[in-house]
Amino acid sequence: MAIARRPVGRIVQVAMVLVLAAAVLSFPALAPNPYILSAGVVVLNYAVLSTSWNFVGGFTGYISLGHGALAGLGAYGTALLVTRAGLPSFVALVVAALLVAALAVPIGFAALRVRGASFVIVSIALVLILLLVFQSWASLTGGSRGLVVPRPFPGLLRPEHHRVFYFLFAALLGLALLAWWLIDRSRFGLGLKAIREDEDKAEALGTPTFAYKLVVFVVSAGFTGLAGGLYALWFGDLDPVFQFSILTGSYMVLMALLGGVRNLFGPLVGALVVGIALEYFKVEFGDTQLHLVATGVLLALVVLFMPDGVLPAIGGLLNRVFRPAQNSIREVTAAQLRDQRAAEAEAREPVDAAAGRREGAR
Amino acid sequence: MPSGALLFQSVILGLLLGGLYALLAAGLTLYFGIMRVVMIAHSAFLILAAYLAWWSHSRLGVDPLLSMIVTVPLFFGCGVLLQRLLLARLRPVTLTMMSVLLTFAIAVTIEGLLGYAFTGTQRRIQLGYGSASFGLFGARIAVVKLIAFGLAAVALLTLYLLMKKTTFGWALRATIQHRDAARLVGIETERIAGYGFGIGLATAAVGGTALALDTTIYPSLHWHWIGPLMAIIVVGGLGSVPGAAMAAMVLGLAQSLLQIPLGTTWAQTIFYLALFATLAFRPQGFFGGRLAQRF
Repeated sequence: MAIARRPVGRIVQVAMVLVLAAAVLSFPALAPNPYILSAGVVVLNYAVLSTSWNFVGGFTGYISLGHGALAGLGAYGTALLVTRAGLPSFVALVVAALLVAALAVPIGFAALRVRGASFVIVSIALVLILLLVFQSWASLTGGSRGLVVPRPFPGLLRPEHHRVFYFLFAALLGLALLAWWLIDRSRFGLGLKAIREDEDKAEALGTPTFAYKLVVFVVSAGFTGLAGGLYALWFGDLDPVFQFSILTGSYMVLMALLGGVRNLFGPLVGALVVGIALEYFKVEFGDTQLHLVATGVLLALVVLFMPDGVLPAIGGLLNRVFRPAQNSIREVTAAQLRDQRAAEAEAREPVDAAAGRREGAR
Repeated sequence: MPSGALLFQSVILGLLLGGLYALLAAGLTLYFGIMRVVMIAHSAFLILAAYLAWWSHSRLGVDPLLSMIVTVPLFFGCGVLLQRLLLARLRPVTLTMMSVLLTFAIAVTIEGLLGYAFTGTQRRIQLGYGSASFGLFGARIAVVKLIAFGLAAVALLTLYLLMKKTTFGWALRATIQHRDAARLVGIETERIAGYGFGIGLATAAVGGTALALDTTIYPSLHWHWIGPLMAIIVVGGLGSVPGAAMAAMVLGLAQSLLQIPLGTTWAQTIFYLALFATLAFRPQGFFGGRLAQRF
């Protein structure tokens, strides 16, 4: 982050964040009809989900395909707390998110004790087992008939309802981004990134890798649960097939990877691109399975050719165009660098170096 | 307490099912051994093979078993290309995670294409011998299930002989055990790894044909297979073929027996319970060797 250190770059960054926030907040006023507004809510929901996913995926490099299940749990938790326990909608939302976070502890315990491959397997298994349970346990969840969630603001007309939830999702997105930013700057975040780069070395240097991974997984699960619960309150109708779909999890991964997992706004950018594309596909191709093909092909292309995402790719391009002299890659070989450093060291401490040489000669 | 005949029937069916699981898990284990790749698309290829068997039966009128003459070499080729053209391009540092995503993308693409080509309608092969069965000590065993088991057993035996008795098998096992050392003694590990992937995918072709004989198939069916299969390879210890086969038999039997008191849906949860229990208490798996320790 060479830009961040310079005052001009900092001003540009703050200005860009303000422009982005203004663009997000002015969208409801600009949306021509309620459908576009509801599409905006869906895209914001995706943005919150993939930002929540990025707590685990971006910091630790552990890729979870099962976050869709955590969102589903948040949604069903909120819905059941409202309908069965009679809690007020937003109290239920918070309680459900806390429950999801609590449930993430044993899940994380099983999934994070081992490296990479098993974590992914557990995350997929989580989706499949919850789909099975929520479809079969029809007496509690309504099964495939669905579960209707009472709307929190019964007096509102549909466009107004969309508008209110648009701002709620925007607030949640802001909260998630703030949390990500704070972790990114903290010692905790440094430890997480060390896990991503080399878990063995991080552990050898005294980073409590397992505890760090578990904590960030729980934080991520909490935000995902909040997003799922808010979706339940907005949409008002839940079906296990959509709530516990492996596709939801894969959309989160695709969005975060496409935008760039190491950037604060990467998942948001990815959600804008993928979310709009998904809505377009829904309108254009309806019920065919082509959206699956498009998702699969896009994911494969991102993994193969752009695993760092578009934001770093664009940043690299800008750097090359505007500052051709500055290269991020050293243009000296390791041998040259060694000689250079040796020369510097000698210039700084000529006596010691000379003494060292005499020692060597003897 | 269910009757003895019912229990016996369940045991037989469980063993027959376990055989199919064992064959498919062997393929997954091969991929993992060769490249540390968790191949999510394995079961998607399985369903693809089942669709090809169904298509050749309903459109061309040939016996579904004959479709293997085409699908097995075809899938072998696909596997080689998949490894050489796609997986080998990924960065070694992030290979495990990125390969999961890549194979996931392939699985979703196959599911989408199957849905587009054959629609989401449930399909089933109507065979002349489809309803034939015979009695054995009071248990009824469908002939098609026995054929499926036979296919799986023959394929597994072939795989075993290939791995243990041929020069290629030695080279493949050497590549799995220590790639650098294998290269030092003159094995072309890249090419061998490609062929290994081809063989893994060929097991999916055999398994898919066996599956198509007595199962109703639809494009998203592969999600019902990948979960149990991944549970099996984790319980067996990632990378161990005998471990995977043992776990497949045990879990297949357990699933079949649990269907008596719990019904088909809840009986499936045994795989996930076994998966979570294994990871919580014995992460390296119950039959795994050195390889499984770090994954």
